[in-house]
Amino acid sequence: MNFSAIKPASGRASTSMIGASVRRKEDARLLQGGGLFVDDAHAANCAEMAVLRCPFPHARILGIDKAAAAALPGVLHILTGDDIEAISEPLTVLRPVPGAPDLPYYALARGRALHEGQAVVSIVAISRAVAEDACDLVQVDYEPLPHATDMTRVLEPDAPVLHPELLGSNLLASREDRAGDPEARRDAAAHRVSDRFHINRVAPLSMEMRGALAEWRGAAQRLDLRVSTQTPHLVRKQLAESLRLDEGAIRVVATDVGGGYGMKLGLFPEELLAALHAMALGRPVKWAEDRMEYFRASTHGRESFHDMTIAAESDGQIVAILNEYTNDIGAWNSPFGSSQLSSVTFTGPYKVADAAVRRNVVLSNKTPIGAYRGYGQPEVNFAREVLVDRLARNLGLSPLEIRRRNMLRPEDLPWTVPSGAVYDNGNYLRPLEMAAEAVDFDAHWRSDRTPRADGRIVGIGLSSFVERTGYASARFLASRGSRFGAHESVTLRANRSGGIDLYTGVSTFGQGSETAFAQICAEVTGISYDRIHVHAGDTGNSPLNTGAFASRTLIAAAGALRAAGLALREKAQLIAAVALDVSADRLVMAEDMVRLRDDASVGISVADVFNRAITGQGIPEGVDPGLEATVHFEPTDASFSFGTAAAVVAVDPETGEFAVERFVFVHDCGVPVNPMLVEGQVRGALAQGMGAALAEELRYDAETGQLVNGSMMDYFAPLATDIPPIELMHTQTPSDVTTFGVRGVGEVGTIPPAAAVANAICDALRDHGVTLSRLPLTPESVWQAIRIAHSKGAA
Amino acid sequence: MTLSTNTIEISVEINGETYVESVPVRMHAADYLRHIRGLTGTHVGCEQGICGMCTVEIDGVPVKSCLMLAVQLDGASVRTVEGMSPAGTLSDLQIAFSEKHALQCGFCTPGFLMVARALETRKTMPSRDEIAEEISGVICRCTGYDGIINAIETHLEQHFSHMERAGKR
Repeated sequence: MNFSAIKPASGRASTSMIGASVRRKEDARLLQGGGLFVDDAHAANCAEMAVLRCPFPHARILGIDKAAAAALPGVLHILTGDDIEAISEPLTVLRPVPGAPDLPYYALARGRALHEGQAVVSIVAISRAVAEDACDLVQVDYEPLPHATDMTRVLEPDAPVLHPELLGSNLLASREDRAGDPEARRDAAAHRVSDRFHINRVAPLSMEMRGALAEWRGAAQRLDLRVSTQTPHLVRKQLAESLRLDEGAIRVVATDVGGGYGMKLGLFPEELLAALHAMALGRPVKWAEDRMEYFRASTHGRESFHDMTIAAESDGQIVAILNEYTNDIGAWNSPFGSSQLSSVTFTGPYKVADAAVRRNVVLSNKTPIGAYRGYGQPEVNFAREVLVDRLARNLGLSPLEIRRRNMLRPEDLPWTVPSGAVYDNGNYLRPLEMAAEAVDFDAHWRSDRTPRADGRIVGIGLSSFVERTGYASARFLASRGSRFGAHESVTLRANRSGGIDLYTGVSTFGQGSETAFAQICAEVTGISYDRIHVHAGDTGNSPLNTGAFASRTLIAAAGALRAAGLALREKAQLIAAVALDVSADRLVMAEDMVRLRDDASVGISVADVFNRAITGQGIPEGVDPGLEATVHFEPTDASFSFGTAAAVVAVDPETGEFAVERFVFVHDCGVPVNPMLVEGQVRGALAQGMGAALAEELRYDAETGQLVNGSMMDYFAPLATDIPPIELMHTQTPSDVTTFGVRGVGEVGTIPPAAAVANAICDALRDHGVTLSRLPLTPESVWQAIRIAHSKGAA
Repeated sequence: MTLSTNTIEISVEINGETYVESVPVRMHAADYLRHIRGLTGTHVGCEQGICGMCTVEIDGVPVKSCLMLAVQLDGASVRTVEGMSPAGTLSDLQIAFSEKHALQCGFCTPGFLMVARALETRKTMPSRDEIAEEISGVICRCTGYDGIINAIETHLEQHFSHMERAGKR
């Protein structure tokens, strides 16, 4: 791709918008309390919905008596599982598990509820309070059934099978990817390390919960649905399928989204219910999820265990990696289901040609799992990077040296991993060396692990990673059965004021896409950043797109923005050229004027040019009126971000208490469009990665199968006081497979923290022989690991 | 929002305007501000007093409005994010938030602004650790807090240096 063609159109060639930390377009409204989140929108005559949910992990529904609820003044409409089949289709899955049957997932439980929190009855009343009162009056006759909530036991012969009509066990699917002959290499290798690594179930925990405002105009056969989603166009597709409506009857809007993190992908039961009620009543219906519902009905993330083996020669050269892992997907296949990227990045940044990975997906009587920032990559990174350190210790090598010896060199790239994914160009060693130097790893490695004056021992842990960002083409997605494309799209439309309206289906949930899109548009067209108006997340005015997830937005959208901007600029300059009676190639459009490049006194205002185009008055013969461009752009390849983190942790060997005293994060996301946004994404994802590594865990009681900490009182999201000091460094290796050389950045920070901290703790306690293999890492788990190590040592 | 319940008349001053009206006795203050007064900049995130999305200033003190009933606002003076700056403009604190990238999705931002403004009433400039401690009643899931602390620190440094100069004059 020829990037020299898009030198800034502005006469001030040095002031490129790409790479500038401009202030965000989103900020002004959000800072004034003027955001438009779902529950901020209002509709006249709006009714409100509440949902009655199953309190058991698994129960047969013998009967529902709704008479008292229906008789409560103010109650307008009630739906139960008996109604749902007649009026809707099951929710469809956007990213099915390859090889798995579709599990029919209706908006309300029919006969049997499969997880605590599954919707059983929905009630619409004149207010949420009345609807909740009515839920209390519904009598549901449940017969509790045996449940399977411990994912390590759901495949045992006596475990109840969740979907017996479709599956013989709770194994939904199993798939292997392999290259070379890893078993033979393993068996012949001098050294092997293996362990099982447990990854905790966590809540994505967007501060805005889900919600829906459904408005149906029956006479017009028109449904407007406002939701909190990362994928308005995909929600529209799924709504059409479940409501048996033509897509043309539906408009989905997400204006401001209060955090997504991958959870808000696709359609959920309650949004469909709000639409069904609105259609039945002929009046608007709003549903605003509360936090107790959120913990039980919004999708969870991560839960899995990994059985990994790394085999190496005595010099530390890794010759084989084998990983078999199991993902708990909960009771149903949610729109995005089980994370698949552990299978893509399990070999990490290392040159290992003989490797195999098997992914098993199992069902359990728990809330469905959905996508969550990282989507399999933090999980497998924990297993691999902890094992790499153990291997180094076994061989008497430093963790830095073993990484150095095994990392892919720039000349090894592009590199194809067993899943078929291709790592693009990069320099993986540089972040490793920078992180090691920042913490003086070599000197630390040679020093003794003696306690400081405060009794704590300091350890340093490294964690290297690659992150797949973006999707490699629709062909790749089709091969995995995904029901969406790899492209992004944009419409640029000149307006009479001399500005550009930019329409995108990418909704705004904190990632700064309004800002980054406007920067690219300004760069390519020359129109000033302030004159570019971004209209995001409305299917009624944006071209069909895919949506914002998989760190893919800019990788795909940059190409669309570039092409649309060039088309718009070219036509504007053509019109200006005729108006000025000069040749178009002598003109440059910058800010509010189109001028002669070599004589700034000759020019025409952009507003004049745009008005000529819009009215068709004063444009060249043979040129169509109008000035807008819609472009769909599909990237040909994914790009891989990469880097290394180093954690400095002080551990109390008596109590297991520990504190992360420094966290150094060096990474490469190619060319940053806005470095300020990049830093924000990285720091935010690191905080989530730390939370999942050190504190967060959704726990289910083994006996009752119930979620024991499903409230903000009991679930510990990081507070301002919980974030360790973080030092960020970047290298900048432009990707040679993407527009402008960008790489994705949204998820990368979630990947390395767990292994970096675990490795640091084990390094601090290396004289004790401590190993860690379960998340979250807590003082209690470290204390237990010390006791186990001591008992082994004593034996 | 309609609730089938008794109502009580309250008189409350919000962002400089006084309202005398009947409110349902079971309605909490955050819902009153949002759905009766239309001040939707105050958000609701847990209704358990943990997340801090609903933080407003009541009689000069930041308060989690989901833990109060609307009837408890009787006689109170309330400041919400909408009252932080004249409509369509940003205060110095709000500008600092934008410059330091202290917000991403923006759902928690009004809560942090309310807490940050209350820090202006301190006698001395707080340290970064103290700022972190002070804002730990509001949860941000997007930023990792660094930008928020930077913004508040920058703003308070300017604020306290202005105060000092004013005092010396």
